[in-house]
Amino acid sequence: MSKAEFSGRTAIVGIATSDFKALYGTDPERTREDLATHAIRDALDDAGLKKEQVDGLITGGTVHYEPLAYRAGLTDVRFCVDYPSAGRMCPMALMHAAQAVENGLANYVVLFNSLCFRSNQVKFGMGGGWMGTGLLYDSVYGMASPGAQYSLAFTRYQHLYGGTEEQLGAIPVAFRKHAQLNPVAIMQNSMTIEDYLAARYIAQPLRLFDYCLVNDGAVAYVVTSAERARDLKQKPVMIGGTAGRANFREWYVDLDFWADACASMKRDLMDPLGVGTDDIDSVQVYDNFSVSVLWGLEGFGFAPKGQGLEWIQDGRIELGGELPINTSGGMLSEAYLQGWNQHAESVRQLRGQAGPRQIPDCQRILYWGLSALPSASLLYVD
Amino acid sequence: MTYVKPLPELTHEDRPFWEAAREHRFILPRCRDCGHIWFPPYSSCQKCLSFDREWIEASGRGTVWGYTIMCQPYVPGYADEMPYNVVLVELEEGPLLYSNLVGVPDEEIRPDIPVEAFFDDVTDDFTLIRFRPRNRTGE
Ligand SMILES: [Zn+2]
Repeated sequence: MSKAEFSGRTAIVGIATSDFKALYGTDPERTREDLATHAIRDALDDAGLKKEQVDGLITGGTVHYEPLAYRAGLTDVRFCVDYPSAGRMCPMALMHAAQAVENGLANYVVLFNSLCFRSNQVKFGMGGGWMGTGLLYDSVYGMASPGAQYSLAFTRYQHLYGGTEEQLGAIPVAFRKHAQLNPVAIMQNSMTIEDYLAARYIAQPLRLFDYCLVNDGAVAYVVTSAERARDLKQKPVMIGGTAGRANFREWYVDLDFWADACASMKRDLMDPLGVGTDDIDSVQVYDNFSVSVLWGLEGFGFAPKGQGLEWIQDGRIELGGELPINTSGGMLSEAYLQGWNQHAESVRQLRGQAGPRQIPDCQRILYWGLSALPSASLLYVD
Repeated sequence: MTYVKPLPELTHEDRPFWEAAREHRFILPRCRDCGHIWFPPYSSCQKCLSFDREWIEASGRGTVWGYTIMCQPYVPGYADEMPYNVVLVELEEGPLLYSNLVGVPDEEIRPDIPVEAFFDDVTDDFTLIRFRPRNRTGE
């Protein structure tokens, strides 16, 4: 089956997210299993399904299927699999759910991600390790954290194309405005460009607000066939497709700012459907760091190469602008759920349930994440 | 004084590299079958998957691809040095590697600065390869 034929044969019919704001702050007794069970219960309610109908289970994070299945009473699933806890995996898990449904492995697949990074005081950025064995060629030099790697790439980008830190600030400032319209977003304080620039550097030239949050929370979806979706509570949000294109480099960042990976994913994801950048009503980005937004905009062809910093100015990526991005606040201001919260926001927008954040007549949303394994997805409504 | 920064745990893959650095030699693995030069020093060639590697003396010359100034105490032992630079150096031989640039103020670091390797004996047993600016005409 071609990608074009596959598109629209499966749908997201239920979603739920935690109240990230209420969970912000640590609770040593909080567990990922509880957060996940809560989200799964709410996603099934949202879809109008009973847990007994669930016959597929995909975990997208730190909770394994078995301890979760006990708690959520998913006792008779026919298909289950764990994905590694990583932002890059959300589109992969979504496509796996869709393929499982399409190929008859399961009728109703629940997939979720659940994190207790804040309560468990998980520290990021210790460096080393991903190359396997004992190879250690970063932290011996004090290099650590993906953020420092993206920061290092941003100095290269600025060297080649110019642009200022103030221009980059348009991204976190826009997402903060969106978060202020989202009651469950963690970061509710207003943030001006002056506030952004006044914040300390973490890895210069990236500052505190270029970095995503670290928090607790869960997100769950229910995926089924387009046919079954018609009988359920919500307007089905169709899975147009997903794409991935690995970029395994030991220094993590791509030397051309993921241009090839984005072009490849665009060819795989958008071209078969005849969807161009002009057809996209909103973009949801895995904003681990602000620059992931910038480079994806150039890579997917929304902004001319090297001109992304100019392109994002003057409210263009804000609600009411030409291309609203991360309308729930993204991982910079809503919560860090490894891209899963962005897909939940896409579903809300496409259903027309985004309240004060609603994009008028929103029909197609593109998602991307840029990492060692870039991935993307396209969701739409008919 | 005890050295509290991270140090590599030597493996069969990279032991020759670190032992050479200790002797103030900068070596890189090269494939005997296809000539590819790579880093980090995995056992196998990434181009042709041959395990027949030899070690060549690196020129030590390269340019700064990009840099960052670390302002957050992520790495044990480095907190006292903040802010400090980390550079990604593109070697003449092709591979890229992280290191630190010494001998130039952080605010003057720019991509494409020509650099050369030098040996920094951080402990009796370990030598790190760091870089300093090199005169472009003095090659
Ligand atoms: Zn070879």
